[in-house]
Amino acid sequence: MEYKDYYKVLGLERDVAQDEIKRTYRKLARKFHPDVNKEPAAEARFKEIGEAYAVLKEVEKRAAYDHLGQGWQPGQDFQAPENWDAGFEFSGGEPNGSGGGFSDFFETLFGRLHQGGSTPRGQTAFRARGEDHHAKVLIDISDSFKGAERSISLRVPDIDETGHIRLRDRTLKVQVPKGIMDGQHVRLKGQGAPGLGGMPAGDLYLEVQFKPDKFYRADGRNLYMKLPVTPWEAALGASVQLSTPQGPIMLKIPAGSAQGRELRIKGRGIPAAEPGNLYAVLNIVLPLANTDKAKKAYEDMARGLAFDPRAELGA
Amino acid sequence: MTASVIQPFDTEIVDAQAIYTLEELCAVCLVEAAWVVDLIEFGVIDTNGRPRPEWQFAGLSVVRVAKAKRLERDLSLNPPGIALVLDLLERIDMLQAQLGPV
Repeated sequence: MEYKDYYKVLGLERDVAQDEIKRTYRKLARKFHPDVNKEPAAEARFKEIGEAYAVLKEVEKRAAYDHLGQGWQPGQDFQAPENWDAGFEFSGGEPNGSGGGFSDFFETLFGRLHQGGSTPRGQTAFRARGEDHHAKVLIDISDSFKGAERSISLRVPDIDETGHIRLRDRTLKVQVPKGIMDGQHVRLKGQGAPGLGGMPAGDLYLEVQFKPDKFYRADGRNLYMKLPVTPWEAALGASVQLSTPQGPIMLKIPAGSAQGRELRIKGRGIPAAEPGNLYAVLNIVLPLANTDKAKKAYEDMARGLAFDPRAELGA
Repeated sequence: MTASVIQPFDTEIVDAQAIYTLEELCAVCLVEAAWVVDLIEFGVIDTNGRPRPEWQFAGLSVVRVAKAKRLERDLSLNPPGIALVLDLLERIDMLQAQLGPV
């Protein structure tokens, strides 16, 4: 088990005032809340912050934690000393933050507080449908074209045979359906928390997010991609080969196309009964005038074409 | 701590189909009806436009209410704050999409 430096997690000195801990936590919680921050690392960071705050916000827990000593390095192998918390009285209570999912380090030191009488759904003689769980899963845009199987790991509170709440690692293999769109949710029926008193289990909701793609941007079922073309292809028209998520196609560029023109390739977006479209957005790329031949070609154009792109500026 | 691997699960896409009553939505999200009504007033979720006894909610509402509940719990936001955050997040998503590869 690894030692966790809760002060470092919050970026604070060990002698920080109690008020400052709260202010810092709130600031970091806003910044890294997984519903607000879409960076993949945000969720882990948010949990870490929540765990640190759950300990440091209470004077007694903080004192007990400080008593463990400062000699530990973050990540160092850690064993809790015998009776490490003697003389400290905890007021208990459920830590807030994203519910369960605290580290082994936290569980060893403070975990028994979870098992107090105030914990929800921990006791029998109580009938309730299990809680729904929510998680995120990242997929590539190409996964939406063929469907994908993803393994996701969840840390869920579970009730063991002695009636205590424990954290359990759960790995689920999930079939992400073909045609899923960015930001859509899928539901796995009965895969949330178990129900109590014979009530059904909750559901697991997964928010599907597309990883940033090098070439494509998704907007609903439509996909957009930048298509680099030469000035003469745009001016004179051309047929170019284009790779799409469903394989290469030939695309006709109409003569007289301007920069930014969107060419629609019908039905080549995200698959569905009514599939989306793929849009190739023309990006005219100029060749460098770095050879005599290229310079000559530009000079010929300058002489041969009466073209003033600044006419509208009235200069 | 035990780990278990379960075989692939079939999934169902949560869509705009109206499937929940107010009571079911509250039971599923573990929230009070009055709080959901607040969310509706501030436009966080939409009803089917019928009078309250006939309200039905799309599957997606479960996800929105759960998100709203997390924002309330973790960041102490009230319904108008939640509505504002969700609107701004939507705008950021839109703007970020425009900064993408195209």
